[in-house]
Amino acid sequence: MRLLLIEDDDILGEGLRDFLRVEGHTVDWCRSLRETGAFRDEPYDALLVDWQLPDGSGLDWLRERRNRGDATPALMLTARDRLGDRIHGLDSGADDYLVKPFAPEELAARLRAVSRRRAGSAGPRRRFGDVEVDLTARCAFIDGQAADLTAREWQVLEALVLRAGRIVPKSDLEKLMLGFDSEIASNALEVHVSALRRKLGRDLVETVRGLGYRIGAP
Amino acid sequence: MTQLPSIRGRLARALVGWSIAWAVAVAGAVWLAVEHEVSELLDDTLQASADVLGGLLVRGDAPAADPREANGAEPETRFAWQVVGPDARLLLRSRHAPASPLHASATPGFSRTTEWRTYGRPLGADGRILYVAQTREERREAQAEITLSTALAALAIGLLGHLWLRRRVRQELLPLERLSDQLAGHEPLQAGASLGAPERDELQPVHAAIEELVRRLALRVARERAFTAHAAHSLRTPLAGIDTQLAVALRECPPELQPRLRRVREAAGRLQRVVAALLALFRSGAALQRQPVDLHQLMSQLTIHGIEWEVLGRGVIDADGDLLAAALLNLIDNSLRCGAHKLVVDVPSPGTLRIADDGPGVSHERRQELQAALDSQAYEGRTGLGLMLSDLVARSHGGALRLPPAERGFAVELQLGEP
Repeated sequence: MRLLLIEDDDILGEGLRDFLRVEGHTVDWCRSLRETGAFRDEPYDALLVDWQLPDGSGLDWLRERRNRGDATPALMLTARDRLGDRIHGLDSGADDYLVKPFAPEELAARLRAVSRRRAGSAGPRRRFGDVEVDLTARCAFIDGQAADLTAREWQVLEALVLRAGRIVPKSDLEKLMLGFDSEIASNALEVHVSALRRKLGRDLVETVRGLGYRIGAP
Repeated sequence: MTQLPSIRGRLARALVGWSIAWAVAVAGAVWLAVEHEVSELLDDTLQASADVLGGLLVRGDAPAADPREANGAEPETRFAWQVVGPDARLLLRSRHAPASPLHASATPGFSRTTEWRTYGRPLGADGRILYVAQTREERREAQAEITLSTALAALAIGLLGHLWLRRRVRQELLPLERLSDQLAGHEPLQAGASLGAPERDELQPVHAAIEELVRRLALRVARERAFTAHAAHSLRTPLAGIDTQLAVALRECPPELQPRLRRVREAAGRLQRVVAALLALFRSGAALQRQPVDLHQLMSQLTIHGIEWEVLGRGVIDADGDLLAAALLNLIDNSLRCGAHKLVVDVPSPGTLRIADDGPGVSHERRQELQAALDSQAYEGRTGLGLMLSDLVARSHGGALRLPPAERGFAVELQLGEP
């Protein structure tokens, strides 16, 4: 998943970024709301937002995004643990609310849960013909056999599964794979898609000419 | 509990004492006045009777010495009379008069004998003398009757006065009772909460003192809330950072370092639980949010590692979920440190949460020692943080912590009291 993390605490922010990267996600980390300006129109699978930031309220920032019609799943990360705060946070557009201190494993699990629900499935497994994808185990099965996918191949597959039925632009997938500032070889995405087709079947990933890729029927 | 002196009781006793003293004093004064006035009145009557009777005797219209009414009955009379000659010989007397002269020699005017009060009136110049007399017993009886009736009237007035004053005292103390009721239901930290205007002038200082106390309390609570909010942010974020960095380090470090890092992470986790409990407890006095808590759900959210747990039955209890979670985390931490492998949570009776583990437990004497420390709230040096926090959580719900005997392991009961 490509994630935007807004957290002003260096130790926590760096730890979360590294943990989530080890988990296979691409993380853009901002230390303030001002820094998020550069990522305003980037496609993300989820937002991780601290409530109390040096230059404003993360909740207000999220509310403003929701008002613009942005439905990206969002988790509030906050030290505010009162019942009223939790209700306020969820009512203001957060999909989940995690009170500090939390275990990063729990954050990762909640991210998966929120993303699954946004993708239209409560369970961790999604089936596409002969292929079954387990978003929690980060594994794909073809005819019941686990496929041997690289981290990059899994990133592409996960992004398509989470947007199943929708066309995902190539540019979004490329950004998802490497993060905002990184560079990617011009044909890297095609290479990974080709590998996925080879390992999971030619019909799994559909190419929509001139637009991008899609998994599952529209 | 020691019975304190009651204002109403003290006033009532004072009124009873005052009423009795008043009645005795009035009766004494009446006695003195009546004795004097009644003596004068009776003496005047004696003299007047002597004058009338003397006039009749001088004219020769002496009344019969043995007067009887038409029906033969003796007339009711409070007087007796004698006519005594100059030689001290009894010439005439009324039926009730003594058969011998009242005085051995002529004694005009008022005088008294052992039994009689007499008035002597000379009858003309022949030396005869008329004694009109009344027994002293009769006079005392008349005085006593008047005194008694007056004293009874004084006593009745005293009694009525006492009852009236007692009722009045009760009425005047009612504002104190109403103030107590208002204070019992007063929520001083609630916006717009007020005791209202004082009902009596004397209650103005009490109202002023309470308002000042509330002002200081609100200020302190506001400071504590601000401190807790800052402390929460200042403590929770670094704790989350520590745990996250440790989680990353665990994945990146060589295998031989992993056990050590895991122990560090466990310690950090315990620190998180204690901090969470302390923060929750620190602000619990302000607003207890009591509601039905599903123990299955709560235990699932506590991220418990290293110990099995089970919730028996329906597992729902009325409590503040955050505080209960803080207490449970610390009790679970205790069980873990004591080497328990399994926890059983249940609600044996409404308002009571029981947590029992399969650890080594404690001796009967140690359990009693711990219970005594909890009962007296003398925690320092006698109980651990977990039991202290749990007891404070139970007490904030109006209950207390109990350490019931357990066949195996250690059991704790959080008695949360009625909602």
